[in-house]
Amino acid sequence: MSDESGLWLLLAGPASATAVYWGLYRYYRNTDKSHGFERETAVEAQPVTGDDAKIGTNNGTTQSRIRGENGGAYRQRVQRVQRSSDTPPDVESGEA
Amino acid sequence: MTDTKTPPPLPPLPGQPVDGPGSPRDVPPLPGTSTLDPAQMPEAIRAELEAPDPVAIDTGAAELRSGLNRCPKCGSSDIRPRLGTDLLVCQFCRHEWHGERVEELFGFGDGIADLRGTVMASGAQDIDADAATLMSFKCSGCGAEVTVNTESTMTARCHWCRHVFGVNEQVPNGAVPDAVLPFHIRKDDAVARIRQFVDKRKLLALKAFKDQFTPENVVGVYLPYMIVDGNASASVAGTGEIKTREYTRGTGNNKKTYYDADVYRVERHVDFTVDDLPLESSSERGNLDVNVNTNNIINTILPFDTKNAVRWNASYLNGFTSEKRNTNVEALRPRLEDQLLSIARAQVEGSTRRYTRGVRWEAEALDVHGTRWVSMYLPVWLYAYHQPGRNGGLLHYIAVNGRTGETMGSVPVQQWKLLLTALSVGTVVEAIAIAILVGMS
Repeated sequence: MSDESGLWLLLAGPASATAVYWGLYRYYRNTDKSHGFERETAVEAQPVTGDDAKIGTNNGTTQSRIRGENGGAYRQRVQRVQRSSDTPPDVESGEA
Repeated sequence: MTDTKTPPPLPPLPGQPVDGPGSPRDVPPLPGTSTLDPAQMPEAIRAELEAPDPVAIDTGAAELRSGLNRCPKCGSSDIRPRLGTDLLVCQFCRHEWHGERVEELFGFGDGIADLRGTVMASGAQDIDADAATLMSFKCSGCGAEVTVNTESTMTARCHWCRHVFGVNEQVPNGAVPDAVLPFHIRKDDAVARIRQFVDKRKLLALKAFKDQFTPENVVGVYLPYMIVDGNASASVAGTGEIKTREYTRGTGNNKKTYYDADVYRVERHVDFTVDDLPLESSSERGNLDVNVNTNNIINTILPFDTKNAVRWNASYLNGFTSEKRNTNVEALRPRLEDQLLSIARAQVEGSTRRYTRGVRWEAEALDVHGTRWVSMYLPVWLYAYHQPGRNGGLLHYIAVNGRTGETMGSVPVQQWKLLLTALSVGTVVEAIAIAILVGMS
């Protein structure tokens, strides 16, 4: 093991102390809890429709996930577009 | 808080009113999941973490979803209305009681897909700013004048003849809802659940909180909510990536992992209906900013089995306190749209699984075709502890859902104990890390 990765191992102590602090704080104070309406409300949805079009490639990146991933962050609002419901909102297609 | 007639104090108002859902903005973790691994915790903390949680009745349970109302005395479901009155009669034990389910009475469960525009039940009408909260009645028993403060109570007893009556007439001050969901969880049950909840969080709790802990002081409160049915379409658009190749380059210390991906433009559209989405219709309770209050605790014990709500009758509030609605439908619309968008995003997630590197949504649109708003009082057992501090301190709630028994709370922590625990664990881990480094050199 190199010196560099050895020094990296020394961060384990402070990192675990921080994780334990926030973990226990949330366990007592429950600041991260709220009504999970996305899964606790009776929702009847028609089958999801949509389009997928290849617009390019992102080769040689060192990131293991897409930049700015928010597929699971339902409550994180993105640009709101006022459009009629039958056409999907326009987005400028950009390279990831 | 020894007087059970006094409603629990409201948290201080924020300097700037929070619009929309406020925080917490994160999707809450799944019930029973935690970032803490009990196996790695010290013995005492592990015992707390692994102690059982208060049991909550699943409102998704078939018997509640179907709206089967049982006789409160014998549990029989063989119930018939007594014609000509509001009474229901149990055919088994002859017990009689009030209760007309608004769901069938007003058809609140039907035709959500056909809703157009904004439909408001009479109890959800806009609040008239001039309408008085203090209402006086002429006692029907003896003719004396009796005053009811609708800010916190909806029934009163005549001091002269002991006649009890309630505010049943819908006045435009927001105090009279369309429906009420009576308490099912008894007080001793709520006390036991609060005790069980706090017992799991005692080790690092604030000493003053533990010393003053008297769950018997829990108060039954009817809190005002808008129950919304909606029918909407949502569209989202963004970018998704599919991994095509993963490889490493370089040698030794400069070794790095690289990824190749195909980039796609992703568009999704979904039409959906929501049934009985509850929104806080008191502006104080609707402010979920965890930095200034613990209202998110009360928000967490949602939902209720609102399908079983009965037509408003002030007698249900006898012996309980209530809080008045002070928000109109239009003021709640931004929060509704926000939640509908979140629901739509959750609905389309399943259709994006092929994007192995994830999806980044960049634009979203919502078209609300129709909504139906019903004002309701929902039952909550509330225990409050005021922790002194800066800006008036913080009011910690422990709340029990008056129907399902779901319990959630905020227990103040003793900071030095928490820091000490975290530092101890950190020190042990650091010692192991150093031992590994020494062993390798």
